[in-house]
Amino acid sequence: MNKEFSVVGTKVIREDGVDKVTGHAKFADDYKFDGMLHSVMLRISEAHAKINSIDFSEIENNQSLFSIITSADIPGAKKVGMIKNDQPIFCDEKVVTPGDVLAMLVGESEYELRTLLKKIKVDYTPLPILNDPKKSLDKDAILIHPETGTNLICHHPLRKGDLEKGFAESDDILEQTYTTQLIEHGYIEPEAVIAIPLGSSQGVKVIGSIQNPFTTRRFVANVLDLPLSKVRIVQAHLGGSFGGKDDTMCVLSARAAVAAMKTNRPVKIRYTREESILESYKRHPYILNYKIGYAKNGKIKAMKIDILADGGAYVSMSPFVTWRTVVQATGPYEIENVHTDVRAVYTNNPYTGAMRGFGSPQPIFAQESLMDEIAARLHITPDEIRRINGLKVGSITATGQTLKDHEVNLVRVLDVACGNTDFITKWKKNKNEKTHIAALDFKSPVLKESQFIKPGNLIKKGIGLAVSFRGCSLGAEGVDAASAYLSIQNDGSVYLDCGLAENGQGLRTTYSIIASEVLGITTDKIIYLELDTGITSDGGPTVASRGTIMGGGAVKKAAEILLERLEKFVKDEFKLGEDDFVSFRENLVFSRRKGLISKFPEVCKLAFLKGVSLASIGWYKSPNVHWDEKFGQGDAYFTYVYGCQVAEVSVNIATGEVYIDKVTAVHDPGKVINRLGAEGQVYGGVTQGAGYGIFEEVTTDKGFIRELNFDTYTIPTSKDIDEIKPIFIEGKDSYGPWGGKSLGEPTLELTAAAISNAVSNALGKRFFNLPLNLEEVLLSKKLRPADTKRGSLL
Amino acid sequence: MIEIKFILNKKHVSAKIESNIRLIDLLRDKFNLTGTKEGCGVGECGACTVLMNGRAVNSCLVLAAQADESDIVTIEGISNGDVLNPLQKNFLSHGAVQCGFCTPGMVLSASALLDQNPNPSEEEIKESIAGNLCRCTGYKQIIDAVKETAKELNQK
Amino acid sequence: MMPSLEIITPKNLNDALNLLSSKEKDIHIIAGGTDVVPGLNQESNRFKDIRLLIDINRIAEVKGIKTDKEKISIGAAETFSDVLQNETIEKKFPLLWKAVSTIGSVQIRNRATIAGNFVNNAPCADTVPVLLVYNATIEIESQSSKREIGLNDFLSAPYKTKLNADEIVTRINIPIPSNEFAGDFYKLGRRRAVAISRITLALLMKSNDRIIDEIRIASGAVTPIGTRFFDLEKFAKGKKADDEFMKELSGKLGEQIIQVTGLRWSSEYKLPVVQQMFYQLLKGIER
Repeated sequence: MNKEFSVVGTKVIREDGVDKVTGHAKFADDYKFDGMLHSVMLRISEAHAKINSIDFSEIENNQSLFSIITSADIPGAKKVGMIKNDQPIFCDEKVVTPGDVLAMLVGESEYELRTLLKKIKVDYTPLPILNDPKKSLDKDAILIHPETGTNLICHHPLRKGDLEKGFAESDDILEQTYTTQLIEHGYIEPEAVIAIPLGSSQGVKVIGSIQNPFTTRRFVANVLDLPLSKVRIVQAHLGGSFGGKDDTMCVLSARAAVAAMKTNRPVKIRYTREESILESYKRHPYILNYKIGYAKNGKIKAMKIDILADGGAYVSMSPFVTWRTVVQATGPYEIENVHTDVRAVYTNNPYTGAMRGFGSPQPIFAQESLMDEIAARLHITPDEIRRINGLKVGSITATGQTLKDHEVNLVRVLDVACGNTDFITKWKKNKNEKTHIAALDFKSPVLKESQFIKPGNLIKKGIGLAVSFRGCSLGAEGVDAASAYLSIQNDGSVYLDCGLAENGQGLRTTYSIIASEVLGITTDKIIYLELDTGITSDGGPTVASRGTIMGGGAVKKAAEILLERLEKFVKDEFKLGEDDFVSFRENLVFSRRKGLISKFPEVCKLAFLKGVSLASIGWYKSPNVHWDEKFGQGDAYFTYVYGCQVAEVSVNIATGEVYIDKVTAVHDPGKVINRLGAEGQVYGGVTQGAGYGIFEEVTTDKGFIRELNFDTYTIPTSKDIDEIKPIFIEGKDSYGPWGGKSLGEPTLELTAAAISNAVSNALGKRFFNLPLNLEEVLLSKKLRPADTKRGSLL
Repeated sequence: MIEIKFILNKKHVSAKIESNIRLIDLLRDKFNLTGTKEGCGVGECGACTVLMNGRAVNSCLVLAAQADESDIVTIEGISNGDVLNPLQKNFLSHGAVQCGFCTPGMVLSASALLDQNPNPSEEEIKESIAGNLCRCTGYKQIIDAVKETAKELNQK
Repeated sequence: MMPSLEIITPKNLNDALNLLSSKEKDIHIIAGGTDVVPGLNQESNRFKDIRLLIDINRIAEVKGIKTDKEKISIGAAETFSDVLQNETIEKKFPLLWKAVSTIGSVQIRNRATIAGNFVNNAPCADTVPVLLVYNATIEIESQSSKREIGLNDFLSAPYKTKLNADEIVTRINIPIPSNEFAGDFYKLGRRRAVAISRITLALLMKSNDRIIDEIRIASGAVTPIGTRFFDLEKFAKGKKADDEFMKELSGKLGEQIIQVTGLRWSSEYKLPVVQQMFYQLLKGIER
């Protein structure tokens, strides 16, 4: 056990664990209320259409129908959005993507309501469909939102140094294009929410599978035209989110709230898996053009990057997602001359927004593929090229930021990962074993004799690595502060609450560990309160891997305030000398001179009786960051984390199957607070990253999604990855609780890139398009069925 | 409406039901056993797993009427009152739970495995939960929890 | 959303056949329900007119696995898990055992039945190629008749069979192949578990001093329905199973698949792979 800490860094059982293993934990759909109504959504089978009229006459008098909810019932904002208000709650004028909802029916029985849907007559005029982001900015492109005058959602330029000079100084220039695919978050719990009217003095209460209650509150208040204080959002246990239960849940909450206010009854919305995949936002597909100039000695001289992101039909978080991309697009390398443009555009495709990784997995795939390719051209190993160019203390990033105030552990995580996996030996061995994969001639589909593979040669081994740096928390996206509330009862038990919401990852446990460490009490003394926006103060969203560094910082502050108060009280109460020292450990209270003097509960009772305040609010605000939008220069994030993952794979050269034998994940997340949680983040993140790397893909045909359920949208099962090995390098940092920073997203962002490099090591050919599914590995292309009919995917 | 009688978490119960409701609907809506979760409705995710005559089944693929005269165990029936089942304890101590939505199904699949095969190999453990999707944990800590439970049961 | 319907659980075959003979159009048999229940719930076209389900799980005549010297007889409502637990199947029908063990998940195998797999007759039904090479026959009963036909004759088109509206498949009979047969089953999916098959192959071969005495070849998921390749089998009979011939035969399988299926969006991938993997199967059973 760590000498410095008694709880931090140890294995602590989740505070909500017992409820979850016994089935007692209530998720949103588990709530029922007296008089609760259900609801169903009206959609049309079009990706782009002008709605002329909706005729409800055939169902209006049906006894199964309680009410029809349309845009006309909205007292406030009819359009909402994270950054720009371009997403209608009800699309009664125009549909711009197949998930769009025109109206909602509420009534006692979901089943009866669904039968009514078929009787509604919608008159609409189909519009041309824009589904190729490369065509979004064409002069003759149809505008998805004509009122904006363009399909450009955002453009982030970055200019550093002199690009021409950099290329002139280069010995070789490499230019490549990469693409990444649309993917689904795949949380196992589909969306559900209940809105409960509280009367005119109180407004409305919403309980749901909500990632960020304060964001949801803002949406609902805007739509209902109510003050924030009349909208209370309570988070139910959240069945996974990964960035995915934000905008969608805000919109669903608003719909339920409008219906609840209109009907004066609790109204529940719950989605099937198909509806969830149809309507929820996804990860941005990117098209990435990279041009790199480098010297013979391996030093990169210049990088020109041009990235296009498909934002789909709504802005959502695209500007922030692509902003992280522009900051991190070069990868963790010090490059003098950089010229980057990142754009996001509208299409009629499913809209894209936040997903774990948030604009980083895409450029990492491109830049880490490129680094391997340059290494191969220079006849050096993949680790060498990264060592030559990798960020160190004092390095200046592409945005002109000097890295300081923390250990820049990039090379260290790389060294540990290589050492731990015997990387160089394996990499060279695999590379030298020539693959007898004959070029297949698909014009004459019958294989030639020489093309058949000897059974013993079927499986090729590969090893590959990828490294990254990642800015912690929001950066220059916006104000960054978090709050926590701590209240000690007079028996020594403690209430804890924080403005950041649990997303299932174990944030509440991490916070309990922090409070317990500071106050010298065991974690079982701490009761974590459910997040209710009516009680807790706004701590910003649970995004950007900011839970530990920001929320943890606030909890530590709140606990330290009470600790100081209690120390002072104990000194007075027990008449200890000014130079004595009070300490709290394992629910006991010690004086350096007198030894054990009391127990925590007794001290709390005495303090309470003497009128000492035992409640506190901790506030943690990030240091200032700044950003110049014109040149993309500035201190983008106040600190960074570093990671290296090594993937070892077996590739079946006859079928293109990629088996993931082992992923070694070396991360510097700063101080590890919650050991079990941290390991869980690595296992889960790597597994999601592997799915992204080898088979996950939402494909669309004219905006319509083919994979609407888990039969065709395949996510990794227990059998798809053999071994994952987490290794933590706990680098020192002046920010965060004891230097605890970020881990959730770094674990995911590297895996696909490492796998792709490993498959390249096995086969001796490069890959440019995720995912590396069967067809991509064998044919270097994707094959698509002609339509979206179910079963057409066979 | 038809009437069915079955054993639910060791108690004899009966229910008057519509013929078209699924076992998951019966458990959640009529018996308020909301530990059984619906994640996909097509038998792919396993969140709705319950034990039917000792075997793990997807309750979204079984009609409630088909549960007549059967023995059903849900997550609420797996522990002995407040005393956790060894699997539940090990799920906690190994960090096998994150969001918890897949957990009930996962525990029941593992429980069915250990009932039939008290000494499973790692491959057999993986196979037994391959029908239970988890998006949070990457399965590793779940597999470890099942392994440890088997070890404990064999030491007894 | 499940449509409103009725379910009846007869206790014997006669009651079930009586119900079926009433000739109500919208009757459907249910056993494991792993296709029917989600099909109904998703309002699939194939199931949307069903108003009455007959659950055959309590009918003794369609349960049980019986073995004699010549054959094994599997009740239509036996689940895949039941099949996996049967020692005779594990020993005498290793291809069937292997195919069944790759189907779905434990939960699916605990409910889904062997007859359901081929009565549903999806292109990717995993047991179909295997049952075809084992020359399985099926017993079918109606109130007025009883017949036994080869599985190959029973399957007509994707999701279609020659089962009449008043009939029930009661048993699957499979002759026990002689010990001289060697064979294997191959399945390719997009992931390692609970995967929809992209390619399945089943191969049984009896040879004497490398001369092929009898060979049976079937595929699934690369043909509209599970398919036996009788022409190819005839072609191979009497040939010497050396490496050169195995490659030739694998190439010819590719040609046959094009003949049966035509070129599809997936052919560019599936055709070379099916040839490679069939060659691997042949090499794998080389003695």
